[in-house]
Amino acid sequence: MLRKLAAAAVAAIVCLGPASAQDAYTIGLTGALTGPPASTYAPAVEALRIYLERVNAAGGINGKKVNLILQDDSAEPGKSTANAKKLIAQDGVILLINASLSSTYAPVVAEAKRAGVPLLFASGVCPKDVYPPADPLQFCTTAYAANYDSRATLAFIKETAKAPVKIGFSAMAIPLSRAEMDFAEQQAPGLGMTVVDKEIIPPPTPDYTPFATKLKDAGANWVFSWAPWVTQVRTLEALRRLGWEGDYIAWSHLEAEGELARLKDGKFYVIGANALFQDELPIHKEIADAAKKAGVQYPPQQMAEGWIAGMVIEAALKATGWPASAAKLAAAMGSLKVDTRGLRGGPIEWTKDNHFRTRQYYRVYRWDTGKGAIVRVKDWTAFDVK
Amino acid sequence: MANREWQMIHSPLPIRHSPDILMQLAVNITVLASIYALIACGYVLVYRVSRVLNLAHGELMMLGAYMLLLTASQFSSHWAGAIAAAVGLSLLTGVLVYLFLMRKMTGEMVLAAVLTTVALGILLRGAIVLIWSAQQQYPAQRLEITNFALVLPGGARISLCAALLVATTALVYGSLLAFLRFGRWGVRMRAAGQSPLLAAQRGINLHAIYALAWGLSTLTGALAGMLIALDSGLDQTMAIIGLKAFPAALVGGLDSLIGALVGALIVAAAEVLLIHYVDPLLSEVVPFLVLIAMLVVRPWGLFGTREELDRV
Repeated sequence: MLRKLAAAAVAAIVCLGPASAQDAYTIGLTGALTGPPASTYAPAVEALRIYLERVNAAGGINGKKVNLILQDDSAEPGKSTANAKKLIAQDGVILLINASLSSTYAPVVAEAKRAGVPLLFASGVCPKDVYPPADPLQFCTTAYAANYDSRATLAFIKETAKAPVKIGFSAMAIPLSRAEMDFAEQQAPGLGMTVVDKEIIPPPTPDYTPFATKLKDAGANWVFSWAPWVTQVRTLEALRRLGWEGDYIAWSHLEAEGELARLKDGKFYVIGANALFQDELPIHKEIADAAKKAGVQYPPQQMAEGWIAGMVIEAALKATGWPASAAKLAAAMGSLKVDTRGLRGGPIEWTKDNHFRTRQYYRVYRWDTGKGAIVRVKDWTAFDVK
Repeated sequence: MANREWQMIHSPLPIRHSPDILMQLAVNITVLASIYALIACGYVLVYRVSRVLNLAHGELMMLGAYMLLLTASQFSSHWAGAIAAAVGLSLLTGVLVYLFLMRKMTGEMVLAAVLTTVALGILLRGAIVLIWSAQQQYPAQRLEITNFALVLPGGARISLCAALLVATTALVYGSLLAFLRFGRWGVRMRAAGQSPLLAAQRGINLHAIYALAWGLSTLTGALAGMLIALDSGLDQTMAIIGLKAFPAALVGGLDSLIGALVGALIVAAAEVLLIHYVDPLLSEVVPFLVLIAMLVVRPWGLFGTREELDRV
């Protein structure tokens, strides 16, 4: 561990040298590499780092290396501001990447706008500014999408449920999660579902049983949770310990694949926009081999999100050409189509007005107790993003 | 949206009082109170002896849980051995924290010692990420412990690890109270807490007493951390759970073990009942509302020592 850290520090010092910066695409990331929500962001950042190291090892982009500078903000807005200022003013990055909680967005956006540097959200939730009509400097590769996710999830529940749906919701007490569950709560009656309860659970909570007790007591036969993984899975586990036997569906975060295998719960569904590694695509093997070679701490199943960000950054820098500038890169990103090679249901396509993607695809998985494996319950379903 | 739909969404849920749910609520209160009490007694032990508020207690608790992860890989299928080793390591950690850090603060302003614990907490949080990474961990899985649910009379349910947590809290409090009342070192600890000068003049080794208090405090916190981790997993948020138990210690009185127990019960009952009958969001603020109410009415807490806290 110490040797790895020392090597990383030396590499960072070498990369930060002025000569290197002048002869490379310099991009910078502020992310929650430590702190309470780091489990959601750190694996994606690690994947991005490995991806770009591979690109550099293969000769770089347009004959130039990519110099990725990582800054930890511990999901604190104050630190993210300082990081953004440093990356722009001191390091002269042409692309700023945010991989952190949404509370860090506002200061980073302000710094990026002031300097005219494009800002990519990778692994953190996509802000509304990337949807049509998009802000010219903000872009997003993250899988999850407010409102679209709830629409897709409720449509799946309606299609799957065999009895009238009495639905409960579970959110974390953070603005984004609450807003999404509020949205789902409003949509559900229109689909013939009865809303019986909505639990807003503060982070962190030592015991989820009191919240689960209320959901169970309300008579829910389906529960939908769109929140950080810890809230989603601990609510489910508390419900099961109370003897609740209903169906539970949650967003397929990075941890989902490992957790489906851990829980082995046939009525636990995860819905998401990334293909799970159980699909065994060639690119999954590529990611797993790269993770193994780099000796990363995180399982390869948690690396798809960062890998996709890497693919998009590579394509954007390639389209920018050399010499590169922030303005040229922003222009290139405004018209980009990247084949995700099966990691998503379709390409990530950005247009002048849409910096999220023109179509959002969803897949649903669960654990099959008979087969003893994760199975695909519903294949890619597309939603147009307008 | 149609008016009827809006009413369907926003009409308040009927309040149920079936025997089953009342029993379940009683179990939920007992489990949450046990968590808070087990954590809070660590604050009390250090404060009672040295008047230092250990703000790194949450991090030390988290470190204890990660130590279980460490020992779990050594004793993969022997859970008792893994827990015993992690408990031993936690006790040692507490003693070492005193010997190599807090001992230097002896005789300094209490505020300096408190700030030192803040720095220790930050250091531990960073070190834990570097060593164990930020991802979610499940010690129960590594130790092959199945956390099944036990069905109690009245139909209430409790998980095996939560039941163990309740039993551990009872055992820890029983042992600590007996130790402080009848044990030679326990009596010395009380003496050092009441008057360090007189205790030292009677030949009591104050450094040994303080080191023991830090060791026991870390051990009890670590036990709480390990049992929570076995029940529901382990991540970086555990340190903040340590802070959530702080109001329980203050409500009961920072220098009273019985007070910590009663404070934990009050805070847990308020939290669970408000989650169920009013609004789940209140669970975040309730401990602090109870604390403010107590500070207004009785600033030294239910069982605290008045003269000491009056000076504060």
